[in-house]
Amino acid sequence: MYKVLPENIKRGHTILEARGITKRFPGVVANDRIDFKIRLGEIHAVLGENGAGKTTLMKILFGQYQPDEGEIFIGGEEVRFKSPLDAIDLGIGMVHQHRKLIPAHSVIENIILGHPRAGKILNLKRAEQEVLEICEKYGFSLDLNAKVWQLSEGEKQLVEIIKALYRGAEVLILDEPSSALTPVETEKLLISIKAMSEGDLAIVPFITHKLPIVLQISDRVTVLRKGKVVSCIDTSEATEQSLAKEMVGRDVIFRTQRTTVEKGETIIQVNDLSAFSDKGVMALNGVSFSIREGEIFGVAGISGNGQRELVEVLAGLRKPEGGSVSLDEVDITFADSLKRWRLGIGYVPADRIAMGSIADFSLVENVTMNYYFDHEYYRRGVLDTKKIRELTNDIIAEYDVITPNVDIVAKCLSGGNLQKLILARVLSRKPRLVIVDLPTQGLDVGATEFVRNKLIDAKKEGACVLLISEDLDEVLSLSDWVAPIYEGEFMGILPGEDAKRELVGAMMAGIHLDEESA
Amino acid sequence: MKIGSHELKLERRVSLSGWQATGISILAIIVALAIFSIIFILAGVNPLTAYAEIFSYAFANPFGLPLTMNRSIFILLCTYAFIIPFAAGLWNIGMAGQLYAGSLAAYAVLLALGVKEFQSAELPTTLVILMMLIAAMLGGAFIGGIAGFLKGKYNINEIVVTMMLNFMMFWVVSFFIKEGGIFMNPGGRGESFELPPSLQPSLIFGIPFTIFIALGAALLLHFVLHKTKIGYEIRAYGENPTAAAYAGISNFSMPLLVFIMGGALAGLAGYHYFGAVPGVYKIARNYGYFGDLAFYGIICGLISRGNPLAAIPVALLFGGLSIGARFVQGKMGMSFGVDFALLGVLMITLVAFQFFYRYKFIWENSKGEP
Amino acid sequence: MAEFFIRSLDASTIFTIAALGELIGQRSGILNVGIEGVMLFGATLGFITAKTTGSYLLGFLVGIAVGGLIGLLHGIFSITLGGDQVVSGMGIWILGFGLTTYIGSPYTGPLGMERIPTILGLSPFFFVAIGLTVIIWFILSRTSLGLRIRSVGENPEVAEVSGISVAKTRYLCVVGGGMLMGFAGAIYSLDYNPVWNYNFLLGRGFIALALVFFSMWNPFILLGGSILFGTLWQLSLNPQLFLPGLMSRYIWRTVPFAITLGALLLMSTKWFRTKWGAATPEALGQPYVKD
Repeated sequence: MYKVLPENIKRGHTILEARGITKRFPGVVANDRIDFKIRLGEIHAVLGENGAGKTTLMKILFGQYQPDEGEIFIGGEEVRFKSPLDAIDLGIGMVHQHRKLIPAHSVIENIILGHPRAGKILNLKRAEQEVLEICEKYGFSLDLNAKVWQLSEGEKQLVEIIKALYRGAEVLILDEPSSALTPVETEKLLISIKAMSEGDLAIVPFITHKLPIVLQISDRVTVLRKGKVVSCIDTSEATEQSLAKEMVGRDVIFRTQRTTVEKGETIIQVNDLSAFSDKGVMALNGVSFSIREGEIFGVAGISGNGQRELVEVLAGLRKPEGGSVSLDEVDITFADSLKRWRLGIGYVPADRIAMGSIADFSLVENVTMNYYFDHEYYRRGVLDTKKIRELTNDIIAEYDVITPNVDIVAKCLSGGNLQKLILARVLSRKPRLVIVDLPTQGLDVGATEFVRNKLIDAKKEGACVLLISEDLDEVLSLSDWVAPIYEGEFMGILPGEDAKRELVGAMMAGIHLDEESA
Repeated sequence: MKIGSHELKLERRVSLSGWQATGISILAIIVALAIFSIIFILAGVNPLTAYAEIFSYAFANPFGLPLTMNRSIFILLCTYAFIIPFAAGLWNIGMAGQLYAGSLAAYAVLLALGVKEFQSAELPTTLVILMMLIAAMLGGAFIGGIAGFLKGKYNINEIVVTMMLNFMMFWVVSFFIKEGGIFMNPGGRGESFELPPSLQPSLIFGIPFTIFIALGAALLLHFVLHKTKIGYEIRAYGENPTAAAYAGISNFSMPLLVFIMGGALAGLAGYHYFGAVPGVYKIARNYGYFGDLAFYGIICGLISRGNPLAAIPVALLFGGLSIGARFVQGKMGMSFGVDFALLGVLMITLVAFQFFYRYKFIWENSKGEP
Repeated sequence: MAEFFIRSLDASTIFTIAALGELIGQRSGILNVGIEGVMLFGATLGFITAKTTGSYLLGFLVGIAVGGLIGLLHGIFSITLGGDQVVSGMGIWILGFGLTTYIGSPYTGPLGMERIPTILGLSPFFFVAIGLTVIIWFILSRTSLGLRIRSVGENPEVAEVSGISVAKTRYLCVVGGGMLMGFAGAIYSLDYNPVWNYNFLLGRGFIALALVFFSMWNPFILLGGSILFGTLWQLSLNPQLFLPGLMSRYIWRTVPFAITLGALLLMSTKWFRTKWGAATPEALGQPYVKD
């Protein structure tokens, strides 16, 4: 390993400093005169909502963006990053939230990729040895010859950490480190982070709103809001409430109260449903449940545990391998997706851009997606565009979608507005069953609240909702039933009032309800 | 690039209006013709003279103009064969194979009616011609449908499939019209038997009746693609197949449908050249040449950006250019293939100009910046 | 009979080298459907050069260089300008077809030079093809450059943050790949069948393109597939050797294309995909634009 920093910098001294960092994008100031200091050996959390400027700051520190104003110092010397390569050379490592790894390659190939010492002809043996040394130092264990697609999210994250360390990182930036991890994996990560900070690495996790983690591990915390630093304090002086208030700018009520409404007939009945994933593995393994009018059924789990297959089978986009599904007592096990729309299933997909909308279609044409097959909106094969336009205007007003007009293309909408449009389009059909997959992912606090309230309204009107979420708080606060899913199976189905955080967390990690109570 | 206080910058377009697209397309054609001048210069021909000859022969000459019209109708039909799958995001480069199949099917009708043997049909001429048209569409649709089926059902790359079908159909035509094939001309000249004069459709001002089919198809296609439910489904699938599947649009039937429609139109192009153009009235020995000409449909479709109405003037221009280039080639003593070379240069220039559909140059006053 | 197999192996040489060129490009994420166009350029200009200078060496060098230039052009369209790779590839094919028809037609006819000597009855280029297969396999799987190429083809964004220049790597591959395609074209027109004729490749480039898909991006499977198709192609030209009187010779000519369709169909079946897995470079055909 090669040392990048001057030897005289010791634990506790400032290693990285940013002064007056400003970055503008058309229409917004993403970072507004940010000052920021990181000391060697500390864990320094950066907290902020979506849109607070965290990502921009992170990209500036890693050389992906160049600031419009301001300077960056490493070990007291001013530096300029033209690209991430410069940042890496000066000892900055990044662990991305959306893993920057190549699934088809092995772990070791991923680690040495782009490393200046990889040599012309690959010497994997030597590289393996060097990587093993790093693993030993911090107590990591990992199969270096496994293909990355075979790894769990936690292991993938570890690969990224090791990759950064192998390139000589002294400052490790972690982007939302606990997202997509199970509670058990998060625990492991926190231990690794501690170990690394004791080994004189500066660790900078950038975190959205996972306040407990900030309080649990960090030494200091910087809070960003609307592109500005609002505070920088020792974590020991902070509380969950105080941080939340600084982050959002107002007092936040954490738990939306679950509303219970009268329950009616069973709408959807699923028996022993199973399905293969794209890779040909049995990803959904005998799931049974039913949802009645006025109920929200929450499936809690880390993505990749069969949620996608469950949702796609129910939406008619994937063939089930076994089991049956009926909607209002009509068997729909093998119905295609169009028939399901007609029968009253409404689906809000997780991927708003790739599946939920058509980027180059206007808002009217996007709304048409769920109406083109509706006899009220076409006659003799000709679409009634006037009527669809009126409908679009009505629903964007009702759902508060901010747009200059309905003729702009969908790719011009912000994430929150796009989600509102999709939700509006689906819910305006008054579906019997609403399937919502990760409905608030990536949305700000306001939009999140809006979406959740709309789901509650839907159930009040007698629909039933299947909610898929990685956000435990979301599932717990909305659901009448909570079903933690692990490797394609429900670990049990709990009534909302019995679903305690710790219990559900354990079940999401693969502990069956029976084992838990035994 | 900086000039004075102004800076020339590239900027991504948010949207592209119809007029801007038209402007870019016209510019692309002009630039291509300018580049092509080099070929004339290298051949020792003054490009201005050459272009003057090309245009005057193609559009103002009593011999050239009908040829231009015939060819433009052909290119237009091939363009539709390209445009329809293209609206669904798919590449039909199998117009050649589809038009061969269409021609064979049309002649098969005649064979079935005993026309080859008796030189006349017992049925009324209009009915026979109608049957030939329908057969041509079915033949083209069948070959196109294979590509659509393989794409929809098995997701097999439609470019490779349509190209393979082109080569296969090329040899299949040979099988039918050469060496004792059932359509062989009794004279054994490596071409099909001829249409008897009674079945040669009459001309309207010297132009085959197929012009009405070609122009009518433009209006119909425009309407179908933009106003109807099926058109919406095709476009949605073309923009984003995943989102289309989500909305209940079948990822199997869309490719099949567009290739059947496209193939049918290519089949009509086959009927047009081998069944309605004066002086041909048979599957000619050089049918491969007409297959290659079908590739003008790709360029015409791309340059008109999938708009069937915009394709009309473009097809007329390309028809004229290819006829005129052939004429100039003979007159100026240039070597064979000037029309194909022009095809290539037009295509590659258009590819380069695709960039401007996405980006634009802007002049920015850098003084005013803070 | 021996003659037949020799011709088959010689025919497979052209498929192999052209398809290897396509394979490198695709491994880096760049699809070039205009392979037939590049080959036509290499073949025609190589032929003209050799015929006018009397030098095989110059002919091959020109063929290779022209292939590289066309590869560069495809690179500019698809890497720098970030355009649709299919559009660019189609452009290159139609340009190649159109322009070479015009440029080559005054040279229609045989090359009229002494044939290139054979080794054990085989064209020396057959051995070159085997050598290239091994070299390209070695580069792709055993070297740092190969890891970079594969990474760029799998996920350019990851490669970029790992400090690899996506553009440079991809240019290297499309230019190198174009040179191989041009070389394959020149082998056709200077050695395999030294007669210039209008549009003489008759779909060999497109078959080479399909071969890359069959090979699952593995150079050795590619070599095997090329030999199979080389043999098929010869068989379709000389059906009387093995199965006289079975079908019209014109129908025989459709066989290689029909088999290509059949093979594509087989590969797309669920059985095949679960058994052999799909090795498609993830980023194939997608333009990469840095933000």
